[in-house]
Parts: sequence; structure tokens; C-alpha cells
Amino acid sequence: MPFLQALLNGILVGGFYGFMVLGFSIIWGVMGIINLAHGEYVMVGAYFAWALFRAMGIDPFVSALLVFPVMFVVGYVLQWLLINRVVERPHLISLLLNFGLSISIANVYKLIYTADYRSVTVPYSGSFELAGFTLPTIKTAIFFAALAIMLALHLFLQHTRLGKAIRAAAQNKEAAKMVGMDIHRVYAATAGICIGLTAMAGAMVAPIQPISPFMGPLFTVKAFAITALGGLGRIPGALLGGLILGIVETLLTIYVPGVGAKVGTAVSFILLVFVLVTRPQGLLSGLRPVEEGA
Amino acid sequence: MRRYPLLFTVLLIAALVLVACPAPATAPATGGQEAAQPAAGGQEAAQAQEEMPKVIRIGAAVSETGRYAREGGDTRQGYILWMEWVNNEYGGIKVGDERYQVELILYDDESNPDTVTRLTEKLITEDKVQFLLGPYSSGLTKAASAISEKYQIIMVEGNGASDSLFERGFQYLFAVLTPASRYTQSGLKALADAGARSAVIAYKDSPFPKSVAQGAEQWAQEYGMEVLAVESYPADINDATALMAKFKELDPDVFVGAGHFVDGVLLARNAEEVDFTPKAFMLTVGPSNPEFVEELGKTSEQIIGPTQWERNMAWEGPYLGTAEEYAQRYEKRWGEPPTYQAAESTATALALQIAIEMAGTLETDAVRQALLDMDVVTFYGPINFDETGKNLAKPMGAIQIQDGQILVIAPEEAAVADLVYPMTPWKER
Amino acid sequence: MTRVSGLEPVSLFRRREIWIWLGLVTLAALFPLTQPTTARLLMTMQMFLLITLATNWNLIGGMTGYVDFGHLTFFGVGAYTVGILMTRSKEVLFAPQLPFWQALPFAGLMAMLFAFLLGMATLRLRGPYFSIAMLATLLAMRELTRLASPLTGGGAGLDLPPELNRVQEYYITLGLMTLSVGLIWWIRNTEFGLSLLAIREDEIGAEMRGINTTLHKTVAFSLAAFLTGLVGGFWAWQNTYIDPDVVFFEPRNLEMIMAAVLGGLGTVWGPPLGAAVLYWLREFFWSRFLLAHLLGLGIMLMLVVLFLPGGIVGLMGRRGSVSLASLWQLRPFASSQQEENP
Repeated sequence: MPFLQALLNGILVGGFYGFMVLGFSIIWGVMGIINLAHGEYVMVGAYFAWALFRAMGIDPFVSALLVFPVMFVVGYVLQWLLINRVVERPHLISLLLNFGLSISIANVYKLIYTADYRSVTVPYSGSFELAGFTLPTIKTAIFFAALAIMLALHLFLQHTRLGKAIRAAAQNKEAAKMVGMDIHRVYAATAGICIGLTAMAGAMVAPIQPISPFMGPLFTVKAFAITALGGLGRIPGALLGGLILGIVETLLTIYVPGVGAKVGTAVSFILLVFVLVTRPQGLLSGLRPVEEGA
Repeated sequence: MRRYPLLFTVLLIAALVLVACPAPATAPATGGQEAAQPAAGGQEAAQAQEEMPKVIRIGAAVSETGRYAREGGDTRQGYILWMEWVNNEYGGIKVGDERYQVELILYDDESNPDTVTRLTEKLITEDKVQFLLGPYSSGLTKAASAISEKYQIIMVEGNGASDSLFERGFQYLFAVLTPASRYTQSGLKALADAGARSAVIAYKDSPFPKSVAQGAEQWAQEYGMEVLAVESYPADINDATALMAKFKELDPDVFVGAGHFVDGVLLARNAEEVDFTPKAFMLTVGPSNPEFVEELGKTSEQIIGPTQWERNMAWEGPYLGTAEEYAQRYEKRWGEPPTYQAAESTATALALQIAIEMAGTLETDAVRQALLDMDVVTFYGPINFDETGKNLAKPMGAIQIQDGQILVIAPEEAAVADLVYPMTPWKER
Repeated sequence: MTRVSGLEPVSLFRRREIWIWLGLVTLAALFPLTQPTTARLLMTMQMFLLITLATNWNLIGGMTGYVDFGHLTFFGVGAYTVGILMTRSKEVLFAPQLPFWQALPFAGLMAMLFAFLLGMATLRLRGPYFSIAMLATLLAMRELTRLASPLTGGGAGLDLPPELNRVQEYYITLGLMTLSVGLIWWIRNTEFGLSLLAIREDEIGAEMRGINTTLHKTVAFSLAAFLTGLVGGFWAWQNTYIDPDVVFFEPRNLEMIMAAVLGGLGTVWGPPLGAAVLYWLREFFWSRFLLAHLLGLGIMLMLVVLFLPGGIVGLMGRRGSVSLASLWQLRPFASSQQEENP
């Protein structure tokens, strides 16, 4: 029973990870850009939720819905102004550019909100019992919200015009250009959606985690690890990678005495290096670039 | 191939010249020079010294930016409060028959070990300070105190609690705060008296919490509790549910979490999530901070925390009055209630002042002897350094959050409320 | 423009730059004789250390185009090697405690060994995958250092016996800087350096022309790690105290990369120049706008990447620079990928 409970906790954490990584994974898959500022968008979403909660008592889950359009616009503009300039250029450039962007965002937030830790306490924090298991209320809610959003995203990519364009751009950039697609607009829309989703994840995580301007890098690295595990640009891959990481972290913490929690953090990094070195295409072959040169 | 080595030459020479030239080349940190005396460097200061009353120069590198920006800010405000009081109200430090004004030089160390090293050297060799006050955090204090030790300059500090600071055999380092190993003593004693028989301990793996945890294990055993588990967690932890779920299986009477503000919030929240309800929940740094209550709401109820100092403690000293009077003075000056980091910083500077007055001279060795001989009670509590420079006289307090109020429950002589034990389970709140 | 002129090995001492460099080093060596305050000495020292780190980073990041986001790992290995040999070797290694001078070479050797083993695995990866693997290595090392507390003191760290002879320290940093700048200058003027640049321009092509790319990359990586390990070991001694947070201090990692990019990747004089400019900018300019210091650094990085891809050196003389655009092939897994997708 303790084992099953631990597994359940791991799955709940993993569901969030899978959702958090989506934006990162899709940007990488579609544009071949590694978004080093990923964690910072999580942070921005979390601050958005915190600010609305403090000012008007708006629930973080409502904020999550509100933050999407806002960050969609931000993502669209950033892509249009900055990233599109380097998307055709070597990786080094976009890596360094995003690196600079992530530092700048974090420090702008530090100037605005100071480095103090913030948190959001919702009235329904706590847990409930179900079939002998203890379920943390907020994490369960996040888990199901994550599944719903993943489903919505899947439907969007499959059935809408824009979704199809994004998939086309991911599969074959040159062909997409040839049939007259404005690839830069598709990229901008993709970035908008991805950054919007990432900020949503941030808003949802606000009630379960302390918020600070420097919380981002850890999310970025975890996003790498999950993408390496699960594969690139695929929703089921993201979910699978997230679940693996969540479960491994949780079980290690419980079953390695004394230092388990530390091993848990170290393991995601070691796992990442290991997967990269032994199976550079990712566990599900998902890291293989969709197009030569992507 | 010709031009860039040339430019490099020019730049490097320029750099060397700038470093070597006698004029103050480096600007102090913005707002760094919080001196009461207008002049800081160069000729002005020399003139000022001739005309104005005598001046004691005291320096400190305190984080204004970086990881410790927040606690460093409190430390800084505590130092400045003391300086303004001693210069404007008290009339300057009494040395023999003379009154000395204090010139306090504060720099921002950016929470960066390289910067704290450099600024401490600068304070000693360029600003020629006679005494040093400590930076914030044990790690930075370690780096800075090695330098002050070399120059045999006294450093009194109030923000590095790790016991290992005092195991290096330093002669010129003194700390007014209760060392980390004793943080949980009075709280655990109160809990043992109330009937607690077992405990689990979780600590963040950095110097201060580790000392706290080692102390907690020792005190718990001494007061007859069984320690069921001691776990450490990483500094950048962002989810402790697994840890809490593990403790839930052990079903202890007391949980002790040793860390800093942010992980305290996280531990409390995750304990609630997995419904881990010990009979007492103790966290080292968070609970004594009013923001902890604000952030956590009802979850913070009945959480116990050790505290170096609280405004409702019963201490009273000849300088700055009672703890409550100090708090009011602080609020008036800074527009916010003092944290204990602020209070211990003021007490740090106050201890130095008392030692100088006792010695009646600015001679380092005499002041050092005075520090060793010192046995006083201040608004902050008793101060009496042992031969390693630790202040073992001051008992650590323990507070419990009751109805949103931070109330002292131990030790008995400072308590204002009774311990609530066992605590209300999370679900029944 | 990507073909760098003057790459042909030339008789070393015919170059004017070496004499300028030697002159500068002599000047710097005389500096302590002017009786500067130790704070000034320390400041110059820290600038030299940044120059050394940026130059070492350039050896792997600039010369071979393998952008290493985790180079600080080797700094950490060096720092902990010195820390352990000076304070723990009796309890842990059952060997006599070493004085600093004997411990320091081990710092470099351990870092080199570590880099060699790590490089065999990670240098197979191309482009961003290498960068990410190195970033993860850095983070993993920080956690592992915490875990190995019997050896490393865990989060509580290690206290080293303080000696703090700043003049002595100054000459050590000067020596380290001269060594690493000299090394990269020498490499750049040899066959080995040409091969490294060839790898950066076109790794598959280089391989086809008979260059053992793996060997070359690993050697460059290990050499960079050796020097960075020495810097780390020295830093541990100079700071008298190490713990995972002060050793694996992220801004240090960032500044080392930033300095190299700012100065001009793959050039000999760019990274030292970038490091000097960065250091003095920080001291003179940012100290007045302290709260925005890192923000300034971030914005500057973006601006340099967008508008000054050749760095300062690229701005000054086109001939010496290599544009960033040529640094990286677009294929992340060029060699392994092709075998899989014929």
C-alpha cells in the first residue's frame, strides 16, 4: 500500500511535468529551437496567478485561463521580433539568445517583485481520501486539468487549419514554404501557443510551490530531461517522459534513506546525460530531428 | 592581426593604471555609503576628521542583491538603525572621556563569495576600518572572517549561526546569536514536557540547517524522544510530498524541519497535502516571520518555530530599552516590523559598542578582551561570549502561531502563551 | 571570410602579438611592486581569473564549436580536489594531508581525467545536445557533491587553512593566465589548432580528410579542463572555504561564457579582451546600477548575439574573426544520424 501510494504521488507529479514540458517540446520539434527561457515562462505564469490572487482573490485556475491569451500575445511578439531573426541560423545563436532572454526576464521580475518568495494559498489546499489513498486536492486538480489541456491541444493540432499548418511546418519546412505558407507567421503562432501553455502550467503550480524570480532554470532542465526521455514534439511522449521522471523521483525519495530527496534531484540530470549518451535519439526515438537540418 | 592586440594592450594598461592609481577608482555600491558623516573618501574625510568630533570607522559587506537580498536588507537596516541611534541620540560611543561618532561603511557583496572577499579586503586596507560587522549567511561570514582574522581585525557578527564557524580557532570573530545547534533546544524541551516521545527531522543540506538538525537530534534524545528518521533534502527542492509521505508512515509525535523560509512554506504545504499530521510541527526559519502566516493562512496555525528574538520577549537592557521599544523604534524608522535578523544585527553592533566602552580604548586586543569578559543583558537578550566567540548565554526562544499571532511559548522566562499540543489535524481546520 | 587567413603555421616569434603579450605580462608582474592595496591586487587577480576561465572555455567552446554550458564542473572538480587533499585525505584517503603546492597539480589532473572520461561520452553528441548534456552534468555534479558528504563535507562544505598571502596569490593567477592564453595562442598556430578549427567548420569533412576528430576534440576538452581545474583548485585555497553553492556558482559560469562571446569566439585575443571589458564594465558601470546588473548582462548577451556576432575582435579587424554563423553545423547528430538514416 505505501508503494501504491508513492506510485500515485509520482503519477500526479508526473502529469504536471508532462503538461509543463509541452511548450518546450513543441517549440523544439517545430522550429528546432531549444528554448532556454522555458522555465522563465513558468515563472511568469506563476507571478501572474500570484498577483491576481493577491489583488483580487482570483483563483489560480481561473488565472491559468486568463494568462493564456496574454502570454500568447507575448510569445507571438517575442518570436516575431527576436527569435524569427535567428531561427534559420545555427543553434549556437538561438541558444545564446534565449539564454540572454531568460536571464533578462528573471531579473526584470526580480526588479518588479524583489527576490522574496511568494506563495498562493487557496482555501481548498489539503487532501481527500479515495479508496484508501490520500489525494492532494490541488495536485489532483492539476493532473486532470493537464490531461484535459493535452486532449484539447491534440484536437487543435489534428483538426484546425492552424494546427495542421504547424504540423506541416514541423514535418517539412521547405515543402510548407513551397505551398505558400508564411512560415514565420506559423512559427510566431506556435511560439504564442507554447508560451501560453507554459505560463498556464506556471499559474497552476503557483498554489503548490513557492514563487521566486529564479525558479525557472530548474524547470528548464527538467523539461530537457523529460523531452530526452519521452521524445520531441509529441503529446504522448511528453506525458510518458513526465510520468517516468515523476515516479522515479518520488520512489527514490521514499526508498533511499537519508538522502533520497537529493538523489531524486540529481537523478533527473544523470538520467538526462545517460539517455543522451546512450540513446541520443531519446527513449522513444523522439529526439530524432524531423528534418535534416532542423 | 595588428589592431586588436593593440587595443587589448591599451585596455589592459588602462585597467592596471586604474587599479594602481591612488584616487578611489571603485565606486562604492549604490547607497553603499550610509555614513552619518558626509565625507567618505579622499581629502574631504581627512578635513572632516580635523573639524568634526572623533570618528570610529566600522565596515561591513552586506548583501543588497543576489540570493540573500532580503535577509541582507534586514541586516543592513539593523546596522543603520544602531548607527543613527548611537550618533544622534546617544551622542557617540564613549571611549574613556571622549565621544566618538560612528562612520559606518556598508557595501553590497551581491551574495557572491568573490565579492565579499574583495570588499572585506577593501574595507580593511583602503577604508581603514577599525572594526568589522558580519555579512549575512554562514558561508559569506566564513569567507569574510578568514580575512579579518588575518589582519587581526575584530569582526562581530549576528547572521552566521553555523557552529563550524567557531571550530576554526579564530581569535577575532564573535557572534551574538545563539549557534545553530541550539536552535531547537527550548522548543523540544517544551514539547517533551508536554508528552512528545518521538521525532523525525528533515534538513536542507547547507551549513546552517545541518547544524540545526544535528543539534535537534541531540536535544531530542536528551529529552527522552526517539528519533525515528533524519533526512536531508536539496537546497532547490520544489516538491517534498514524497518526503512527507515517508514520514507519515513513521507516525512521529514531532516533526522538525530545518531550512529557510521558502522550504518551510513548502514543507508545511506538502505535509498538509499528504495529510501527514504529527502532534507538533516545528520549522526553523519561517514561523517567526509575519509573512509566513500571511502566505500560508490557516495552514500555518499551531506551527512551532525557534526564534532568536521576538518583540514580545521580556528582555530589557540599558541601551535601546526593551524588546518592544526597540521594535517600535525600528517600525518608526523603516515602516515595517523588525525581523529577528534585523534585531540581531542591531545587537551585533551594540555588542561591539559595549565592548569598546568597556575597554575604554580602540586597541584591538583590549576590545577583544572586553568582548570575552562581557556579560550584559540587552533588548536582544543576554550576551556573554565563550572563548571561541559564541554567545551561549542567550537561550533560544520558541514561538507558536496561534490564531494568526506569533506568540512566545518557551523558554518559560520569556513565554507569553501556553503551548497547544497536540495540534489540530490539518483536515479539521 | 570563414577561412581564417594567417592560419598557416608561422614561425612563432615572428608575430608581433607575442611581444605585446609578453610586455603586458611583464607589466602585470611588476604591478605588485607599486605597493597597491590588497583590495586592488585582489581585483586584478579576479580579472585574471576571469580571463583564464574565458580563455579555457574558448578552447572548447570557441575553437571546436562545442558550446559547453557546464564548464564550471571542472572548476568544481579542481576546487574539491584541493579541498579534500588539504583537509580530508587523512580520514578518507588514508594518505597524508598535502600542502597547497602539492595538492594543486592534482586539481588539474583530476579535472583532466574527469573531462577525458566525460568527453568520451558527451563529445559524441553534436550541437545543442552536447550543450545540454554538459549543463545537466554541472547540475548533477552539484547534487553529487552534496551527497558525497564523507568526502566533500556535503552542504556544510570544507574549511581550508587560511593563508591569504595576496601577493603570492597574485603571481599564481598571473601564471595561470599566462599559461592558458599562451597555450591557446600556441595551439592556434599549430597543426593541432588548424584541425580543431576544421572540426568546427565541418566535422564530417575534417574526418574525411583524415583528421581523428574524436582524439582532437577530447584532447582540447581535457586541456581546457586541466587549466580550469587548476583555477578551481587555486580558488578553493584562496577563498579558504568551499561548499557546493559557492563552488558551482552560476554567475561565474555565465560570465565565463559571456566574456568569450563578447570578445570573439575562436580567436586568441578575443576572450581575454572580452573578460577584461566585462570585468571593468561590472566594476565601473554596473556597480552604480547594481540591482540591474544581471539584467544588463542578459540584455548585452542578446545584443551581442544579434548585432555583433564576431565579438569585439570581429568588430575591430575582420581578418582575425570568425563569424558565429559558421560555428555550428545545423545537424545535431551528423555522424550517428547518417548511419541510421542512409
